[in-house]
Amino acid sequence: MSGTNKNLQEKMDELNELIAWFNSDEFALESAIDRFKKAEALATDIEKDLASFKNDITVLKQKFDSEG
Amino acid sequence: MENVLLSVSDFVALTNQTLEYAYPNVGIEGEVSEFKVSQGKWVYFKLKDDESVISCFMTLWQLRVPIEDGMKVVIQGSPKLTKWGGFSLTVKAIKPSGEGAIKKSFEILRAKLDAEGLFSPERKRTLPRVPKKVAVISSTEAAGYADFIKIVNDRWGGLEIEVAHVQVQGESAPDQMIRALKYINERDVLPEVIVIVRGGGSADDLAAFNDEQLVRAIAASRVPTLVGVGHEVDESLADLVADVRAATPSNAAQILVPDRQDIIRAVRSQTISLLPMMMRTVDQASNEVRMQLLHALEVVEERLEVIAQTLDSKRSVLIQLNPETVLARGYALIRGQQTVGQTIEVETTQAILEAEVRHVRNK
Repeated sequence: MSGTNKNLQEKMDELNELIAWFNSDEFALESAIDRFKKAEALATDIEKDLASFKNDITVLKQKFDSEG
Repeated sequence: MENVLLSVSDFVALTNQTLEYAYPNVGIEGEVSEFKVSQGKWVYFKLKDDESVISCFMTLWQLRVPIEDGMKVVIQGSPKLTKWGGFSLTVKAIKPSGEGAIKKSFEILRAKLDAEGLFSPERKRTLPRVPKKVAVISSTEAAGYADFIKIVNDRWGGLEIEVAHVQVQGESAPDQMIRALKYINERDVLPEVIVIVRGGGSADDLAAFNDEQLVRAIAASRVPTLVGVGHEVDESLADLVADVRAATPSNAAQILVPDRQDIIRAVRSQTISLLPMMMRTVDQASNEVRMQLLHALEVVEERLEVIAQTLDSKRSVLIQLNPETVLARGYALIRGQQTVGQTIEVETTQAILEAEVRHVRNK
């Protein structure tokens, strides 16, 4: 994962919170630019994370062809 | 053996040894008749064709699919001479043979399990939106498994996938899948989903997924199940009992995980949508300021007008009060002491006169 130690879900949650702020009554033009830049950086980070994630596939050694 | 004298029991035992050696496992196709279950444990029936008939015996536990008289079946078993002199086949496995028999058996079992509520929508559990830990039961050599893994890898990442490699067709397939289900369900750390996948095949190839014990094992799984077997048109009892049914292994992958490209597009779109929102807000704020300025200007103009009117009014009064105005109307202004003999100044609009007071009369 790139960037900070936050996992993808945490980053998605943070991005959603930022976007919700733009639609809320708390919206203030003075801090909108900073928040927009933060949202843009988070979106780029999420995109990088998503593109780089690999699955870890393990075939179990356990045999199932007979009991025990 | 001509000079050997055997007891009856020895002969029966010897015959059975010979039979076991000659036919350790024989497959026979025939039609079932006189099917009956005794004491809830033993199954007896006759297997026949146009010319011959043979008695068959098996345990109810080994009977994995519904069988009834008239059904064409294939049995796997071994011949045996009983101590009562009867000859029968000890059946290890039985399955319907031919499309009609497979369909009939499927419908009987489906109705039975449906009546027990195993396919009821109330039993269905939802899968996590984005699972982290997944168990897969499939054959790692099967095309369906390869399709499933490819699409999962294309769509999403960060999953921990454990694969239980089992047979997905043939006689031993149901038991292998049941053991895998049991093994996964007994692990210390449970996965969030168990996926069972197998690609397309003939009705016979997919018959393992209509095994009653497998269907019950899927129903009993502590972990939610996602089953994708065969092609879209195929319907197995394992599909029906699963918490979530997928049409194919590829569809199972699509159901299991979201597409990262969709999420990337959504994230981009959300961020991009903030810009016009900000621009609209700036425009709104500018408009509000402009409107307030215009309003202030109007107030100032109104005030100035009032002041101008007041000034005009005062100016009119002043004009009326101007002594010059009074003189212009023919009056005169007198300065000086108004006593007899004094000189006074008389101002008119035209001139200033000096005059002597000769007489004063009180009014």
